Amino acid sequence: MFRKVLVANRGEIALRIIRACRELGVATVAIFSEADRSALHVRLADEAFCVGPGPAARSYLNIPNIISTALITGADALHPGYGFLAENSRFAQICTDHGITFIGPSPRVIEQMGDKANAKQIMDSAGVPTIPGSGILANLDDAKKAAKSIGYPVLLKATAGGGGRGMRAVASEGEIGNAFASAQSEAEANFQDGRLYMEKLIVRPRHIEVQILADTHGEVVHLGERDCSIQKPSHQKLIEETPAPGLAADLRDELCKVAVRAGQACGYTNAGTLEFLVAGDQFYFMEMNTRIQVEHPVTELIYGVDLVKEQIRIAFGEPLGFGQADLSPHGHAIECRINAEDPERDFAPDAGTVTAVELPGGPGIRVDTHLFAGLAIPPYYDSLLAKIVAVGRTRASALARMERALAETRIEGVKTTTAICRRILEDARFQEGGVPIDFLDEAFLREHVLTEA
Amino acid sequence: MNFEDVIESRVRPLAETLVREGLEAISIADGEIEIELSRSLVQPLEQAVSPTEEAAGPGPEYDVLTSDVVGRVRFLRPPVAAGSVVDADRELAFIEALGIRNPIRSRGAGRVAVVYVEEGQAVDYGAPLFAIDRSRV
Repeated sequence: MFRKVLVANRGEIALRIIRACRELGVATVAIFSEADRSALHVRLADEAFCVGPGPAARSYLNIPNIISTALITGADALHPGYGFLAENSRFAQICTDHGITFIGPSPRVIEQMGDKANAKQIMDSAGVPTIPGSGILANLDDAKKAAKSIGYPVLLKATAGGGGRGMRAVASEGEIGNAFASAQSEAEANFQDGRLYMEKLIVRPRHIEVQILADTHGEVVHLGERDCSIQKPSHQKLIEETPAPGLAADLRDELCKVAVRAGQACGYTNAGTLEFLVAGDQFYFMEMNTRIQVEHPVTELIYGVDLVKEQIRIAFGEPLGFGQADLSPHGHAIECRINAEDPERDFAPDAGTVTAVELPGGPGIRVDTHLFAGLAIPPYYDSLLAKIVAVGRTRASALARMERALAETRIEGVKTTTAICRRILEDARFQEGGVPIDFLDEAFLREHVLTEA
Repeated sequence: MNFEDVIESRVRPLAETLVREGLEAISIADGEIEIELSRSLVQPLEQAVSPTEEAAGPGPEYDVLTSDVVGRVRFLRPPVAAGSVVDADRELAFIEALGIRNPIRSRGAGRVAVVYVEEGQAVDYGAPLFAIDRSRV
């Protein structure tokens, strides 16, 4: 096993990695910014090195100082967590070049999956359904032809686009003339590039993803799906659960089978997640995340597998100690993200000092957090404060436990997402299960957030 | 222009000129700013510094030089020690990181009041290396 792992992250995921290492008997080195001097991960690691000032670009993304820390401390592996450098193929390569094992897939796979067009092509050729689309549309006639073969409704998108600009939903051929002209001129005005392409518009899909583990000996297994359809309007996830409520058994099996096939096709190693949009009985590959994910605990709780420890064992070259037949889920798990955010102001991050903390506990509750009373939350980083996870034999019992846990939760000094999570759990449509990704839309927020005060 | 910028762009070059040219005082005025610098040309005796003052740590007039990189401290030969006097901007040591030499400069004249590190010691970002007493030039 590795002698020493450098934990190249902060917050709850740094603690999660340190805990896994300690249980494996592996020493840890924390890195921190000047803004995180009193953070819990600094205290819990065996050694800790400051790598820069508060802004992430100069600390948690400071590649020379991070690599130098690994070399000086004799760390033989590095765990990147999520965010920061986790999906930076160049960084993974630099680690390898310095004799430090990067705990994740190979730099080549990270790069391939990081390029959306490339990833889509690889998935296509592996027989994974992707969102049907066109190449660059030369003119309106071209667009009409593409739309006919893809099938309405379609989405016109600017190749240089972003933030919804140069994007138009088209319901039928009657609308395409106007939509094409306005999308093109908007793209030209915003990006000095009027080129457009087309994708099938997936109407009110669910976000369902599949966890895979792959060792370096060719074994690839899946650990079921997670339903992450409860997202903020910015498409950031807020509540995740597994299994996906109401998902037909044959569709679930197909998703999981396809995920394993995709992992094999790209020569994947370590933990990864394939994200799909699911609408009716159709599903489409969206992207692959080549790292551990925030919501990994729900999978751990129903499969009894420690994903972070498996990541470390796989990176060391050990074969998976189990095959697909050995894996069976038990019960239902759900996670609520408690962020330092103000739902009344579009979930704007809220920095400040946490004056009081009371976290839930008791049967079936797991809390992953770096919070303590007196913690000053720096303004530079992700706003995640705590992940509250509930597990039960059934979805109803997991939801009941979550409601009870959220009621026990008290965090003072900053605005949090605790109350909005409670409102969602009380919602009849959510309780029924299977809601689409626009569930947390403006209407919901208007009704439940803005009237609260 | 804030105070630090003034020190960096106006005062420091002037101080360096003062020391380099062996002058006792120098002053400039350009309408926006007036700077007057003077120094005693008599070298203070090393013995004048009491050990208790050193143990008490740097006073407010001390300039603490810190590390910007994670690496190992390497002293030059002969190594700088507490009490060493530097007459200008000099390299005092360097931090070896990823095989690259990152010089630690005195940033002007002064007396090295405290050496916080040892040869080969691992240092991280912001680690104090030397305290320079600017009042004892």
